[in-house]
Amino acid sequence: MNVLVKILAHKLFALTVLVGVGIWFLVIPAFTGRLGANPLEALLHESGEIAIWTLGAVLALSPLRVLFPNSRVVAALNRHRRAIGVTACIYGLLHFSFHVLYEGGWDGLVRSLSKPFIWFGAAGLTILVILATTSNQWSIRALGGKNWKLLHRLAYVAAGLLIYHQAIAGKGHWAITRWLLFPLAALQLARFAKTFSQKKRQDLSRRINKRTLVEMSSATASASRR
Amino acid sequence: MRKVEVGRPWEIPSCAVTPEAHYLRRREFLRLFGYGIAGTALLPATMRAASAGFPDSVNPSFKLEGVKLTSEDSITSYNNFYEWGFAKDQPQELSNKGWKTDPWALEIGGLCASPRKIGINELIKLVGGIERRNYRHRCVEAWSMVIPWDGFPLAKLIDLAQPNPEAKYVKFTSFLDPEQCPGQRSNDLPWPYTEGLTLREAMNELAFLATGLYGKPLRNQNGAPIRLVVPWKYGFKSAKSLVKIDFVSDRPKTTWNELAPNEYGFYANVNPNVDHPRWSQASERVIGGGFFSGKQPTLIFNGYEKQVAHLYAGMDLRKDF
Repeated sequence: MNVLVKILAHKLFALTVLVGVGIWFLVIPAFTGRLGANPLEALLHESGEIAIWTLGAVLALSPLRVLFPNSRVVAALNRHRRAIGVTACIYGLLHFSFHVLYEGGWDGLVRSLSKPFIWFGAAGLTILVILATTSNQWSIRALGGKNWKLLHRLAYVAAGLLIYHQAIAGKGHWAITRWLLFPLAALQLARFAKTFSQKKRQDLSRRINKRTLVEMSSATASASRR
Repeated sequence: MRKVEVGRPWEIPSCAVTPEAHYLRRREFLRLFGYGIAGTALLPATMRAASAGFPDSVNPSFKLEGVKLTSEDSITSYNNFYEWGFAKDQPQELSNKGWKTDPWALEIGGLCASPRKIGINELIKLVGGIERRNYRHRCVEAWSMVIPWDGFPLAKLIDLAQPNPEAKYVKFTSFLDPEQCPGQRSNDLPWPYTEGLTLREAMNELAFLATGLYGKPLRNQNGAPIRLVVPWKYGFKSAKSLVKIDFVSDRPKTTWNELAPNEYGFYANVNPNVDHPRWSQASERVIGGGFFSGKQPTLIFNGYEKQVAHLYAGMDLRKDF
């Protein structure tokens, strides 16, 4: 277990997985001719899928940390949140460049911009770019921790936009929507449920503490009066 | 316990099936027969009609001069055939795991004087054999191919069936076999796949029933053993692996139109000026073009304006898309 946690927490592990996914699904198929009859479309779709799953992974990490505060595996994976988030943005940018190439030039690109599913994709990717460029210590200091955190909550907005982008892009491909949206939503709900009940319990114990304090103080007061 | 075989309605009884040994020797028989009269070109029409009897050359009226054919490999590996899954490579992989498309019977019925249930080779004989046509194929997803189909005009089958005067539409029904077919076990689409044409559209010289491509019997993933090909419409109109063709008086329900009527019209004529609500139809990606080929402009009626535009005279193609 210790070894596993050590491996999972290592930077090299994160780098290997995040780059490895691209090598496995994009580079190797491209160089072995396994992209099929419409290779650029395959790269376009694969890069988009990698980007959205990577974003899904990073969004799953913070609720997991709340839900399993004692899990060392979750803690180890949480160390890589910044790297995973930036990687999602890089695959998103790759996806966008494949889109430009697929449309084959300026005219096609401009024409594609008339369609809502492209707006959602572009808006989501813009957010990811902003978040990736502010994913460094300097930005956190410059913005202040509170503002920075607020800004990076936009990741959830990006996820919503991009899942919708993906859902309406094709002809009846709901699989990713199902397998990404529902588990992520379930994790968030569970996180909120837990923090809510924890807060309630804290409030309750605080109130009880207060009451006992008041009772104690009145008791001592009456005792001293006597 | 003995296993009782319950046949599907379209199955021909096992007593009518040619024993495998005879079947396997059919080429030998043909070869001997062919040598006997010095070459297949001299075979009588009925012999050319057998599944081995594909023509050597394209019907000159449907040659598409100067257009590059899509490779056989691409045509047989990049398919939208949702019965076998949503991914383009799934039909090739999954439809060839024991799904039998031979023998196969096609039922021709509805409002016609001469309904029948008929094997594909027998049907080919009745309509006078196979011809080859190169057709453009434009998918509603904005990609295209050029395919050398082997088959016969749909009009010949209609002549055979003799539809009644009240028949206004032709309904096409694909096979239903959820046991074999992973896609049909989900309810993402209402199965079986159905499509339809007006009788006038079906009588047009371009409407075609394909039984092969590149001079070989249709591969399972392309809709074996017989499929519709209507090249001036988006590909989803060309229903695959047909078990039934009916003549009907009212417009039949069609699969994609039922599913999303605002996105997939009944007519579904290729039209660069009427976009799909979610993507542009102005241009298309030609399969086999390579990384930097970009897209080419889409033509009205997929380039078959001369042959079919009169069918839609006076219609608002934006409304009746």
